[in-house]
Amino acid sequence: MPEIIACFKWVIDEAYIRRGSAGELDLSSVNYKISEYDRNAIEEAVRLREAHGGSVILVTVAAPEASKGVKDALSRGGDRAFFIADNAFHELEPSQTAAILAEVIRSRIPHDLIICGEGSGDLYAQQVGPRLAEILGIPSIAFVRKLAIEKGRVIAQRKVEEGMEVVAAPLPALVTVLPDINIPRIPGVKDTLTASKKPVVTIKKDELSGTFEALLKNLDVRATQMERHCEKYGTEPTEIARFLELLRSKGVIAA
Amino acid sequence: MDFKLTEEQELIRSNMREFAAKHVDPIAVEIDENARHPAEVFQQLAEGNWLGIPIPQEYGGAGADRLTHVIAVEELSRSCASTGFTLSAHVDLACTPILLFGNEQQKKEFLTPLAEGKSLGAFALTEPGAGTDVMAAATTATPDGNDYVINGTKTFTSNGPIAGTYVVFAWTDKEAGRKGMSAFIVPRNSPGLRVGEHFQKMGLRASQTSEMIFKDCRIPKENLLGQAGQGIPIAMTTFDHGRMGIAAQSIGILQAALDESVKYSKERVQFGTPIARHQAIAWMIADMATDLAAARFLTYYAAWLKDQKQPFSKEASMAKLFASEAAMKHTTKAVQIHGGYGYIKGAKVERLMRDAKITEIYEGTSEAQRMVISGNVLR
Amino acid sequence: MAGVWVFAQRCEQSLELLSIGRQLATRMGTKLVAFLQQDMARAKDLIAQGADEVLVLAPLAEDQSPDAFIPVISAEIQKEDPDLCLFAATLQGRELAARIAARLNTGLCSNCIALDIDKSDGTLRMERLIYGGAALQTVTCLTRPAMATIPPGIYKPAPADSERNGAVRVLPAPPPSAVQVIERKPKPQQAGSITEARVVIGVGRGFEKAQDLNLARELADVLGGEIGCTRPLSAELHWLSEELCIGLSGLQIKPELYMGLGVSGQIQHTTGIRNAKWICAVNSDENAPIFGVADFGIVGDLYDVIPKLLAELKK
Repeated sequence: MPEIIACFKWVIDEAYIRRGSAGELDLSSVNYKISEYDRNAIEEAVRLREAHGGSVILVTVAAPEASKGVKDALSRGGDRAFFIADNAFHELEPSQTAAILAEVIRSRIPHDLIICGEGSGDLYAQQVGPRLAEILGIPSIAFVRKLAIEKGRVIAQRKVEEGMEVVAAPLPALVTVLPDINIPRIPGVKDTLTASKKPVVTIKKDELSGTFEALLKNLDVRATQMERHCEKYGTEPTEIARFLELLRSKGVIAA
Repeated sequence: MDFKLTEEQELIRSNMREFAAKHVDPIAVEIDENARHPAEVFQQLAEGNWLGIPIPQEYGGAGADRLTHVIAVEELSRSCASTGFTLSAHVDLACTPILLFGNEQQKKEFLTPLAEGKSLGAFALTEPGAGTDVMAAATTATPDGNDYVINGTKTFTSNGPIAGTYVVFAWTDKEAGRKGMSAFIVPRNSPGLRVGEHFQKMGLRASQTSEMIFKDCRIPKENLLGQAGQGIPIAMTTFDHGRMGIAAQSIGILQAALDESVKYSKERVQFGTPIARHQAIAWMIADMATDLAAARFLTYYAAWLKDQKQPFSKEASMAKLFASEAAMKHTTKAVQIHGGYGYIKGAKVERLMRDAKITEIYEGTSEAQRMVISGNVLR
Repeated sequence: MAGVWVFAQRCEQSLELLSIGRQLATRMGTKLVAFLQQDMARAKDLIAQGADEVLVLAPLAEDQSPDAFIPVISAEIQKEDPDLCLFAATLQGRELAARIAARLNTGLCSNCIALDIDKSDGTLRMERLIYGGAALQTVTCLTRPAMATIPPGIYKPAPADSERNGAVRVLPAPPPSAVQVIERKPKPQQAGSITEARVVIGVGRGFEKAQDLNLARELADVLGGEIGCTRPLSAELHWLSEELCIGLSGLQIKPELYMGLGVSGQIQHTTGIRNAKWICAVNSDENAPIFGVADFGIVGDLYDVIPKLLAELKK
């Protein structure tokens, strides 16, 4: 009966990001959501519990406003949650998130398997999973498309540059999953209503012993610009000819 | 005054938005064209407890509040008003009267499978000769041994062709006037009940509407809902709830119209600039957004009053009146903003405008609502 | 100690890293070291294209996973104390780099698309995309060694100089990896990588069915180019394989000419073409986002325009 941890992140919903009048990034009216990749992680954990029994423990490191995210995650099938929440946790870098998760998991959450998304929807650094595994001293398998547990080990199909590999590792282990691994279910009304009745352990920064210093320094964040002045042509034969002549003049197609 | 929704309500809204985008948006055009009821969607809605949101869990529902149900209908209607309305008619017009007026046995036998979504419900009051004038109805229910026998024709029954359970209104004592009509729970397989003419409509085409023909339709005495003679009050209370559903549907239509109009007006270039920069269009959008906000808050307020167990009949009527008229007015403007493209099949605003019209008519016409409201205010 | 170190699983990727590595090593006045896996004979190529030293990793057994190298690479880094370590951001490269960074307790800039040393204060500036491509973040590393993973295709391989000399050192064999490889399923090799193509034709949802892509293929043949696609065409419709997918979670390309056909121009795709020399597009919607990032475009139905282009080109 495996104890499965699923980690998730509460991120800005990029659909709400706007550009200001000077082209700068406008985050003033953003909503938040569970990172899409983490939904796959939670869904996979729930599926494994449905197959093998055991329980799904959700863990997140966030600012205190993310309590709605904890409810959302529990409504997706988790049994209980650890909410490591502090105002100091607003903009953590992956090394910090991994270190915080590692301290809490190591000291409080016995586990057989840890499932993370392949990356987060906001930073997409793809570091937390492997870093967490390294700190905990357990094997990691990233970019997993298919997952199974048997007799004390995890068997996974992972994507590699050359194609696919089927690999195995002894438990406890950590995997990061690709979006194609499953289709996360949409929670039903009762799932959402019962979420707040499930146990949540809230942990603040001063309850932790690590210092979690940042290893990177953010120098700048700016909206991406891709301004090119587009000359538009019509579809009449003369226009098509002019268009191709232009490409020839730039040397991109043979004269 | 706390205008914030609970976290559960916000999550339920975004889950229904996601459900509608995934399962309803891709088929909305097809089910409108073919006037097809999307049974497969209702199967999935049932699995997610969407078909009994305000019904207590002991009777198969989700045990949430009325406002949560209003939000769900709004988000579903934003994708397809027919689908949103089919859900709302099922919950507000069939589940609700059984919940409020049924005895324990009726709630277990009839309400539970409806709230679980095992079948859909319908409400049969209107007749060819009796619309706003309910008293002009002709359908009768005569006691006969252990049964009642119902005779008459109901028309414009929403969900008529697809329902498993009907709440039907018939005279048990014509002499008693307003105290002479009774309500009955009629299962689909009752002898003497059949679906009559199936109507092709201007809009709300995926919602199934038909006559229901009762010819010596026999039901057990136990299927009397509430007291004999309680029919009209049951109908009126049911409408109080249904009006919030129609208001929610109208808000969904309005939101969709606004979304389409904003998107189109930013992209469509005429006279060298997106038409959103032309004041005529910008002002239409300002009016649309303002009426949408007003309709939404009025509707949420009515639902909130109901959830607080306070009188809400007048507010529900106001919400229905205002939201439906706003939906019609602004879907027409939305087509105007789209110009010729708004008139072509496949444009979402073309369907929105056709769908909006009925909201001013059913579950009490705008005229009937004005009677209710003025009756209340001028007391 | 110091040095700029590069690691990639394939030699071709190492050659790309050596070009940026060489620039940085020269600016920092330090040496350039490359790891070599698999084929010892290629050590001379790495040296010819910039490496001052090549560290050869022991070949892995069939059932071994590259994570076996983590302790070996980490030990070398701890011993030799380089300033900067660059890893090719292949799937396994990203995982290895993150684990090694954790072992060394150092910062890592993932999917770094540009690296530079600030002229005024010598800071190493590393850029990456965040928020699905909507924003560009610049970071610097506060710890040693600074680490970054760089997507293949961002840098072109350094020119070769066969006169160059360098050292070769063989590293000890690693202990077995905890992860065991049970089966390998290689995917069929695509002839010609689109990251090298001079002309790339991007296809998007404007095409109605898979067979219609032949129109694009014909145009590509005439122009001497390759076909790439947007994510929906590979991941959802499965009309083309995933390695032809251009964009945030796919390939970054730098062709002379990119032509998007029926491509709307969502930012997840256009981040993959931003460095193309000339960008043009054919789309029936005059307000499609692709026209905002293109140099020229034809507003029209691709089913009408492509045959006209072909007719004109064949004249």
